[in-house]
Amino acid sequence: MNKLQANICLICVTLCWSTEVIIFSCIPDDVLPFATTFICNAIASLILAACFFRRIKREIRRSGKKLILRCLFLGVLNCIYNILYLYGLKHFDVSSGAFTFSMTVVVLPVVLITMKKTVGAKTWVSVALVLSGIIIALGGNLANLSIVGLILMLLGCIFRAVFIVKLNDYAGEHDSISLSVFISVFVSALSFVIWFVLQPETFASIPWSGTIIASLFIYAYFIIAFAQTLNIFAQKRATATEATIIYSLEIVFSLIWGTVLPETLIDRATLTPFNITGAILIVAGSIIEIIEFKGKRGLKSDVEKQ
Amino acid sequence: MLKSSKLPQPVKLCVLIAVMISVYLIIAIPFKVMSVIPGFTDIRPVMLLKPVYGIFFGIPGCIAFAVGNLIGDIISDSLRWSSIAGFAANFLGPFVFYFFRLKIFKNSFHLRTGKDILKLLAVTIISSVIEAGIITPAVMLTYSGVDSALLFLTIMLNGTVFPVMLGIPLMILMQEELRFEFYY
Repeated sequence: MNKLQANICLICVTLCWSTEVIIFSCIPDDVLPFATTFICNAIASLILAACFFRRIKREIRRSGKKLILRCLFLGVLNCIYNILYLYGLKHFDVSSGAFTFSMTVVVLPVVLITMKKTVGAKTWVSVALVLSGIIIALGGNLANLSIVGLILMLLGCIFRAVFIVKLNDYAGEHDSISLSVFISVFVSALSFVIWFVLQPETFASIPWSGTIIASLFIYAYFIIAFAQTLNIFAQKRATATEATIIYSLEIVFSLIWGTVLPETLIDRATLTPFNITGAILIVAGSIIEIIEFKGKRGLKSDVEKQ
Repeated sequence: MLKSSKLPQPVKLCVLIAVMISVYLIIAIPFKVMSVIPGFTDIRPVMLLKPVYGIFFGIPGCIAFAVGNLIGDIISDSLRWSSIAGFAANFLGPFVFYFFRLKIFKNSFHLRTGKDILKLLAVTIISSVIEAGIITPAVMLTYSGVDSALLFLTIMLNGTVFPVMLGIPLMILMQEELRFEFYY
């Protein structure tokens, strides 16, 4: 996979993630997010393990305990940032919440610097554009934002940034499919523990129907088995910052779905000059990060040095 | 695995087609809950398999795609006279990609440059126009109450967006990372 292909794959991953809201609209609100995370990750890990059993076995033989411990670490990070987002988002309306979710792109370069990795000029330009996009999109809501909500979202973004940086490091060392399977296994196990604590009836508490089962399967094979694995393959070639800036396109895709898809599938989004301008700036920031500038007048390439 | 097995060629072919139909149905059936025009069309991410089946599996891939769509119609209680046109369109859709691999790429297909991806995008649009051009008049002839413009647009979008946004990354993954070879 070359750089162009890796970027295309990351855009695809972001597109898949953006459909999460459409899939979840088919699941009743009284089903806890930990239940869906447990079930979907369990299904995804089973599908991947069944399809790539030999490959995973080979990787376990090669990496052993190191792979398992690293996936456990990533699984714990994943659970922490999801919980923080879950409680943070309760303090915002849908649109503001979605834009604050994109703050990872601003946090990530800071995390990289604290990890003694350098961040290039091109990345800072992209980050500035994406950040201004987020601020403009929040528009009039900016003054009314909840401080508690913002702190929770910021913490979530920090944990997510560390997750992305570490995943990017491990993707270069381990087999992508094995990483994906074990991350799913640990996320699934941790989610089950939380689900059991919050709702001891677990499976009996879900109002099972064809639609719920279909939605869980769609989520498992599209968003976890396919998108997560593709993401790890792409991260072997892309840097953590490139990945995060492309991820920020998720809000743009969500806006498109909210405008294009019928009301039977998704809550319609109202386009305002603020969120259109915000979306344009986010796209511009992503394009700058993706495009390779060449020649003397070009910005220096973005190399994250150890 | 199937390619290197000692099974007779016709058996291998049947097993391959059966596996491809199963994969098609596993992806397609859950999405039947998301309907745009009930009974006629829905959101169909399964269309991502159109270039994959056409390019990597040739004629057996085209047959599996068409049969998978027909079985999907039967299972979801959407079998109508227009399903005959649907069968033809869903065979021709992946066939356009197979033809493209043989004639344009001369069997050395890859998606490593922007030019390759643009070529595939053009083929995807051609394939979707053919599909929409076959299905829309067939539905209009048998059922007059359907919004033809919306139907044409939905078929075009399903046939273009999913093969491009999901099919291309899947093919990159299959070819570059999983070292998948053309079956036919």
